[in-house]
Amino acid sequence: MSPGAISARRSLLKRTLTGYLFLSPALVFYLVFLVIPIGMSLYISFRDWNMLVPLANSRFVGLRNYIYLLTRDELFLIAVKNTIIYATGTVFAGMALALGVAMLLLKVRGATFWRFVMFAPVVTPSVAVARIWGGLYRPAEGLANAMLKMVHLPPQQWLADPDICLYSIMLIAVWSGIGATVIVFTAGLKGIPDVYYDAAKLDGAGPWAEFAHITVPMLKPTILFLSVTGLIGAWQAFDLIFMLAVGGTESGTSPVRSVIVLALYLYQMAFKNLRMGRACAGAFLLFLIVLAFSFIVLRVLRKGGVESYE
Amino acid sequence: MSKRPLPLVSSKMPAGDAGAGGERLFAHGDAATTGRRVTQADKRGAQGGPGGRLNVSPSTRRGSRRMRLVRKAITHLLVVIVGLAMFLPFYWILSASVMTYEEVTAIPPKWMPSTPQWGNYGAVLRDPNVPLFKYFKNSFIVSTAVTAAVLLTSSLAGYALAKLKFPGRDAVFTFTLSTMMFPVFLFLIPVYYILKRFPLLGGNNLFGMGGTGALQSYVSLILPFVVSAWGIFLMRQFMMTIPDELIDAARIDGASDLGIFGRVMMPLVKPALATLAIFTFIGQWNYFLWPMIVTTSAPHLMTVPVGLRLMGTAYSTAVNMNKLLAATVLAIAPSVCVFLALQRYYIKGFVLSGFK
Repeated sequence: MSPGAISARRSLLKRTLTGYLFLSPALVFYLVFLVIPIGMSLYISFRDWNMLVPLANSRFVGLRNYIYLLTRDELFLIAVKNTIIYATGTVFAGMALALGVAMLLLKVRGATFWRFVMFAPVVTPSVAVARIWGGLYRPAEGLANAMLKMVHLPPQQWLADPDICLYSIMLIAVWSGIGATVIVFTAGLKGIPDVYYDAAKLDGAGPWAEFAHITVPMLKPTILFLSVTGLIGAWQAFDLIFMLAVGGTESGTSPVRSVIVLALYLYQMAFKNLRMGRACAGAFLLFLIVLAFSFIVLRVLRKGGVESYE
Repeated sequence: MSKRPLPLVSSKMPAGDAGAGGERLFAHGDAATTGRRVTQADKRGAQGGPGGRLNVSPSTRRGSRRMRLVRKAITHLLVVIVGLAMFLPFYWILSASVMTYEEVTAIPPKWMPSTPQWGNYGAVLRDPNVPLFKYFKNSFIVSTAVTAAVLLTSSLAGYALAKLKFPGRDAVFTFTLSTMMFPVFLFLIPVYYILKRFPLLGGNNLFGMGGTGALQSYVSLILPFVVSAWGIFLMRQFMMTIPDELIDAARIDGASDLGIFGRVMMPLVKPALATLAIFTFIGQWNYFLWPMIVTTSAPHLMTVPVGLRLMGTAYSTAVNMNKLLAATVLAIAPSVCVFLALQRYYIKGFVLSGFK
């Protein structure tokens, strides 16, 4: 984008001042609430601090917080494993389902109505979502097992069974997020010119070939966008697990060790155990995971020559 | 992944990029895979015209009429199943919120109340232990203030990034995008501490000592959210689509930059502002983690989600399960109603964010 010739003729100094005048609220905010806090987080991660004393009075411990998390703290490593399962599982299962639903919705009438039905969970507060599903999942009085019974399947312990409780919560996350993904995929699907499908039909391509050779390649930018933004959000998932894990809330029934994710681990480390140094070190390790996975996703999906937003 | 992917065709591809001829069609996988340019003959063939190597008569379109009907029926059935799966949890909480306690905890579970107990809602609203109205008031104040601030800061910054040319502009934009990558936990602890030590607030002196700082006031719930990277990004993307000529014309007429921003730009970007406003409001209304951390020591500031979680404790056991569910329905209602009323703008936000 090149602003017009008239603005280009104005003096450099004036343009610079004007630009930064408009940016000043954002830049001041970045400084106070982003740049300084990240510097502080890094500083805190090398210290042993409980927030009750001034930061300057805390003890310097070097890399010991990091070493503790990576070698001596079993719970942290369990949280890393659970986070990876949770994030990749919810994002990619959610995307696959959403793509299927979006393709179905293009073929039926009343898509607006269906889209609203899909979208209602997106705007529902997560605390309420957790309460609804906590009720559905109750082993004896919940509808989930009642429905399994209808189709003659054995009842499950859902949130209480250490083997499946993480997946039970992932199902809730997919349910509550799918509406947004469907919307984005619908926009992407509508952007594919019909001429491609017409040509494929003439060549006698079946629906599967159409899907694999036209739909998916054409949706690559959409898939890239959804993977990166979805994963960044999912690495930090907190609310549902906090509400449904024992210790999170009175109604939680899941054993913490089988559902703990990094966000919950960091929350407990910081605001329950008051080990701020370890929590900040953990936050930086989480940041490294976010970066690494975003980079991998970009590399894998970039092969098609997707450009950035620029 | 397909073994033979079609080269990605993008309307934004630079012309002459050998990797992606914008004219390539699946119909000519051979051309696509052998890397030779698609010829005119190929294109004619793809359209079934003379000169191509393929001529398919239209009558052999996929499937007979009956097959098409069957496929349509299956499609509709699938959509209904998906819709039911999405709606069932809401149905359950709506029906359970008007059940008696015995009905909510019945084994096997009941699908409907025998007589709707609308009194559950009144009981919740009247319960002195559950200050629902206070939660709603707090949520409303915080969400409104954050939304107003985000609209202002996002449109100001978006205007600079989209329409002004100055050194460092692109660096600021890149930085804005990259802030979305930082996990919120990198900021929680320092921001909490910064707010606690905020000078001249809550009994603090100039050096931030001696009091509670911003922590015991609405400031702690509002200030950390007054700038939104996503909001700046959205406004920039939208403002990029506004023609430069309008700005130049206003400049020739002697308008200042602020004048152009206020009188030319703002009226034109109303749809984007509406989208951003709804997004921010609902997001803030539903936000849980930070309000929970801050209001642990300041219960009078509790917002709806935090209060909703606390209610589980106030109604300690299942004795009041039905009332708890009624309260949950009341907590869900505002977000869903706002969304229902302004659905069009809200959904546009998702579409705008990635595809400009």
